[in-house]
Amino acid sequence: MVKNLNKTKKDKSLNIDSPLHVTGRTKYVDDIPELSGTLFAKVFYSSIAHGKITRLDISKAAAMEGVVKVVTCEDIPGENQVGGIIADEPLLADGLVDFIGQPIVMILATEEIIARKALKLIEVKFKPLKVIVDPREAHKKGSLLSDPRHFQMGDIKKAFKKAKYIFEGEADSGGQEHVYLEPQGAYAIPKNNDCIQVISSTQGPTAVQRTIARALGVSMNEIEVDVNRIGGGFGGKEDQASMWATFCALGTYLTKKPVKYILDRHEDLQMTGKRHPYRSDYKIGLDKDLKIVAFEGNYFQNGGAAADLSPAVLERTLFHATNSYYVPNVDVNAYPCRTNLHPHTAFRGFGGPQGMFVIECAIHHAARALGVPANKIQEKNLLINNNEFSYGQKVQDCEAKNTWNQAKKKFDFAKLKKEVAAYNKANKYSKKGIAFMPICFGISFTNTMMNNARALVHVYSDGSVGISTGAVEMGQGVSSKMIQVAALCFGLKTDEVRLETTNTTRVANTSPTAASATADLNGKALQDACDQILVRLRKLVKKEWGLKSKDQIHFQDGWVICNRKKMKWNELILTAFQQRVNLSAKGHYSTPKIHFDKKIGKGHPFAYHVFGTSIFTCTVDCIRGTYDFDKVQLIHDFGTSMNKLVDLGQIEGGLVQGMGWMTIENLLYDEEGRLKSNSLANYKIPDIHYVPKKLDVEYLDTKGSDLAILKSKAVGEPPLMYGIGAYFALYNAVLAYNKDANIPYESPMTTEKILMGLYSKKANS
Amino acid sequence: MAIFNLTINGKNHEVDVDPSTPILWVLRDHLNLVGTKYGCGVAQCGACTIHLDGTAMRSCVLPVSSVKAQKITTIEGISENGEHPVQKAWIQHDVAQCGYCQAGQIMNAAALLADNANPSDQEIESTMSGNICRCGTYTRIKAAIKTASKL
Repeated sequence: MVKNLNKTKKDKSLNIDSPLHVTGRTKYVDDIPELSGTLFAKVFYSSIAHGKITRLDISKAAAMEGVVKVVTCEDIPGENQVGGIIADEPLLADGLVDFIGQPIVMILATEEIIARKALKLIEVKFKPLKVIVDPREAHKKGSLLSDPRHFQMGDIKKAFKKAKYIFEGEADSGGQEHVYLEPQGAYAIPKNNDCIQVISSTQGPTAVQRTIARALGVSMNEIEVDVNRIGGGFGGKEDQASMWATFCALGTYLTKKPVKYILDRHEDLQMTGKRHPYRSDYKIGLDKDLKIVAFEGNYFQNGGAAADLSPAVLERTLFHATNSYYVPNVDVNAYPCRTNLHPHTAFRGFGGPQGMFVIECAIHHAARALGVPANKIQEKNLLINNNEFSYGQKVQDCEAKNTWNQAKKKFDFAKLKKEVAAYNKANKYSKKGIAFMPICFGISFTNTMMNNARALVHVYSDGSVGISTGAVEMGQGVSSKMIQVAALCFGLKTDEVRLETTNTTRVANTSPTAASATADLNGKALQDACDQILVRLRKLVKKEWGLKSKDQIHFQDGWVICNRKKMKWNELILTAFQQRVNLSAKGHYSTPKIHFDKKIGKGHPFAYHVFGTSIFTCTVDCIRGTYDFDKVQLIHDFGTSMNKLVDLGQIEGGLVQGMGWMTIENLLYDEEGRLKSNSLANYKIPDIHYVPKKLDVEYLDTKGSDLAILKSKAVGEPPLMYGIGAYFALYNAVLAYNKDANIPYESPMTTEKILMGLYSKKANS
Repeated sequence: MAIFNLTINGKNHEVDVDPSTPILWVLRDHLNLVGTKYGCGVAQCGACTIHLDGTAMRSCVLPVSSVKAQKITTIEGISENGEHPVQKAWIQHDVAQCGYCQAGQIMNAAALLADNANPSDQEIESTMSGNICRCGTYTRIKAAIKTASKL
């Protein structure tokens, strides 16, 4: 279990949402009582992966009793477009379909069951076209979603010439279905003056607002998006929530009625994109001391049929291509390949994990060939301060070695190694494997423009506080953190601060809740707003108390205090109100110092990096190919965590999600672009059985970063990448049984692959 | 359509619905008891778990016609004010993240403890394995069930 939970002053609050969750009172979109007259939307989608629509007959569906309207692309008043970064994705297909699950028609009916039945009355004929599902094939045919990307540093050719050892190979990582337990959905409600309010399960309220406005041909100020909280997102609702919300808003626009669309699980699996599957080539060069002197990578991202967030995901693959290692000569190229699958999208880690997996494969390959443990090569190449990444940023406050060394020491690696060796010697058909997985993850949106946020604070005349930010609560605990920030600023208890919904009319032009940066950006904007109010209050106190200076005025424990004088917060606020002091403020924050030139692939894109080192130990049953994770032990750099329970929850959950991606989550498509893993019966995510028997998360006490909220480093995405260690621990256990095992670097490492590997023959090389 | 008399959280309710309607939708759409969640509709995720005469059941595949006189308990009825030992332990361990699956987790855990006051790790795992949580709160679910067993 978790140790070292040193309590700090900042660490008093738990998750403020807990009491609601445990009593079933938390409200998600589908829990909002329906207004009378509400219509229900359903989408008829393409059953083929690529083709022309030669016939579309909606007349029978339209004639069905209870069907109010059948909507095609011709009914869209604005642009038939939902593409975010690139406008390449129609809301409703216009003559051509590019993937199975692509919406063609929307049905609006008085009951959901009627809409569902009406789907069967839509008649459509296609002329099939050639289907591409493999990104390498797409690349060969020049089918790309946007320009390839390239980062480079040093002189790769020269470095490979000088390298003592060179290893090349392929490494492929599978996709991952988000399985947010709350499916995608939205509810649109007509408001005064033809405005539409949309309650959406989205990580990106502004993206929803912008997308709707464009599709309806109206201004953004006519669309209000409101998010109470969402039942999981993991990136899947960053961009892809917009489509369902747009359908609802379009329905409301056309009928003047409230329109609701909550996807069922099957629709959600079929129509929405996943974590990008990648296929990659690597070439790694090492010197005689096992220092990595050169790394080359080509990444073929399976982007699906439209760009969605793929170009940004692709970029992050390059940012994390060398993970926690210093490599002086780097040449990495990434290709966003257009295939006939649903457009793939953001997923916790955002391309970073796919990049890290490849260099870890390269290191594993080199280690195996050289007969040394991979951790020896990993350890020799860890980053130190002022090492430069291929994108030009120099690492600061580097904790790579620190977390590594502490992990080795605290978890007594020397002993573990001996124990595992002894176990493997003593057991013929049961083998243990160990793997290290260090992580280094950059915090900020790599699109510099997005690194800003706003917050609105009202202090009501009774002293209570209401705050609004652009952050969306999706389980990561950002609500608790925002309340903590405001409470800390004003010296109040957390229950005296209320957090409002995330709403585009209160906080506009928000960046999505993503990139692990939400608490930093919104928390800092919130601090700014609180500080503005405090400046006004200090001025008032100085005047009221006849002070010479404002410097000694403190706000703590519900009091305003200066030297020996003190006054209750509520009394001060009432006085301020009576004295006509402005008790509301809008705060703004934009991350300083960051910049990045996309054209040359150089700059300083990240506010800071998060570090950590994990050690995985597993046991493989060499008869069956089944396995258990005995333990996962890790040292993580939290900075100075502002809410350890919440932050540790992110580590525990992120780790398990990453392990799932690497082992059991097998996203499958057939050659015709059909999703084979199309239900929770044939796509399995980790359950309670799956979690490691022992999980030690140790806290590395670091000074944090000034750019992190209260020096508490971002924690949402980084732990997912520890999960990569699961792949290599299993791989190493197989090698303990069969040192010549031929296992291609293809995740996930399913039990089938383990079994095949255990009894595989040496590769011809 | 047919009329059914249901006992839910100690109260009697009369609903006029198609006999094949799953209890999940009777609760959510007809009685506004929305604490019970839809996750998959095919009994693969556990988000919709309720009690039928104290036994944990998947309400998404339970037709209203099959309930008859059996008593239904939902997350709203498990305690007056969140005082059930499982709910208390859940708060103590800060189990929930996004929260969506948690009503189902809690209902299943409560049924387990009603049946077995002191479950072993294995018993917890085998009972709870059908309730998935994408946030990955399993470590805490396990710990919270152990705590609840002592409350």
